[in-house]
Order: sequence, then structure tokens, then C-alpha cells
Amino acid sequence: MTIQQQMRKGTTTVIILKLLADADRPMYGYEIIQELEARSGGAFDFKEGLIYPRLHELERQGLLSSHWQGDEGGRRRKFYTITDMGRRRLEWELQSWRTLTEQVNRLLGVEANP
Amino acid sequence: MSGIEELLARIRAQMDLDGETEYQVLAEIRDHLEEAMVRAQAEGLDEATALAQVAARFGLEEVGTELQAVHAGWGTADAVIAAGLPVVCALVLRWLAFAPDGTALGWPQLLNRPAFWIVAVAALLVPLLKLERWRYALVTWAIFWTLTVMFVALPALRW
Repeated sequence: MTIQQQMRKGTTTVIILKLLADADRPMYGYEIIQELEARSGGAFDFKEGLIYPRLHELERQGLLSSHWQGDEGGRRRKFYTITDMGRRRLEWELQSWRTLTEQVNRLLGVEANP
Repeated sequence: MSGIEELLARIRAQMDLDGETEYQVLAEIRDHLEEAMVRAQAEGLDEATALAQVAARFGLEEVGTELQAVHAGWGTADAVIAAGLPVVCALVLRWLAFAPDGTALGWPQLLNRPAFWIVAVAALLVPLLKLERWRYALVTWAIFWTLTVMFVALPALRW
């Protein structure tokens, strides 16, 4: 896996957790993608389908839970919810992110936004 | 084959998962593609153009490869874990209730029998058959209980 792929994977993970924590309700894959695009003003531009490997990975790690809605024969939709473990992981990731950006900003001599 | 079915077939070609996992993964992707198609056509695109746009934005081959990476291995690991518990339970019962010398203290004798190890390892390899998770446990449970009953019914057999 390239550095870019690792960064994309890491940032996508924390963004998904943050989105689901803020929403505080179950969301499905396409809805998550649309919300990410809306929040980022289109800057968060990556292949839509790549959300699914990340969602499935987070679910396996116990950070998300999921349930299906709809009939077996009709349209079925999989919804994801952040778990308590996911919220704790999000807090840890956000703290790590703040620490990293502060350190890099200091190194680069960049003023942090108020 | 409809356009969406063709896209799903391209994703399926990148994966080699057990039937249940593949079904669930493709059902979720189908829902995504259908909604994306509806949205693209609502924006005025004809079906063929909408399909091409949906496919390009989804990243079919890359997604299939990454999904395979996420789910492969885990299925087998899950299965080994699922198989592990009934194996342990069956062995504990075998040792405690049906010990080789008739007493619970005699169970270490089992460890000296190659056939015991062969059966135990074979049971743990059942997951390689790529069955669904609950079936792994069932198959393993069945193997051990069949053997246990066999050896109780036929005490002259030694394993």
C-alpha cells in the first residue's frame, strides 16, 4: 500500500467516524458519500465505492454496527451506526490529529487558525 | 444483463469470497448503484451516459480488490475462532466424561495418541471448506461428537 493510500485510508476512517457521530443516527453508504461531498464542498473527491471497504473494516473492528432494512425480495439497504468503541476511537483520533497539526504548524512556522 | 448487473459482475470478478459475504457486499453495492443511477438520470443524462458516469465515480475494479482484501482471511479467521469453541467444549467433555481410562485423570493419555491430534487438526481445518460461519461450528461439533459416541459405543476402539 502506498503512502497516499495509507493516508487516504486513515483520513477516511476518522472522517466517517466523525460524520456518524455528528449525525447520531444510522446512515447508509451512498448517504454518507453525499454528506461527505456536501461538507467538503466537493473537495473530498475520491472513488465513491471506496467507502465500502472502509465501512466494512470499521464494522469488523467494532467501531461501527450495521443493520439491514427492507424486504429480502425488495430493495434492501444497509445502515451504519457508530458504537461506543467508535466514539472513543474518534476522540483518540481527533486528539492525535490536533497534536500532529500543532507540531507540524510549529515546525513550519504556520499560525493555527483561531 | 442490465447495466447495473454488468457493473456488479465486474466487481464480483475481483472477489473470491464465501457466498454469504459476497451476497451481502453486492446487495449493498447494488443499492448504491441504483440510487446513483436515479440521481444521474434525474440530472438529465440518458441511461448509457448515466451508467458510464456511475461506473467511473464508483471505481469498480479498485473497490472489488479492496473489498477482497478486507473480507478475505477474516472469513477463515472467524471460522477458526467459531470452530475453536465447540472443539474445546467437545474435548473437555471427552476428557471429563469419557476419559480413556474411565477417570477424568486419565485424559492426558489422549495427548499421546497421534489419531487424536490428526482429528483435532482436521477439525480446525474444516474452515478451509469455505462454509458459512455457523456451519463451520456445526461441522466441527458433529465431528467430535460422532467420534465421542463412536468410542463410547465401541470401547475397544482406541484413538
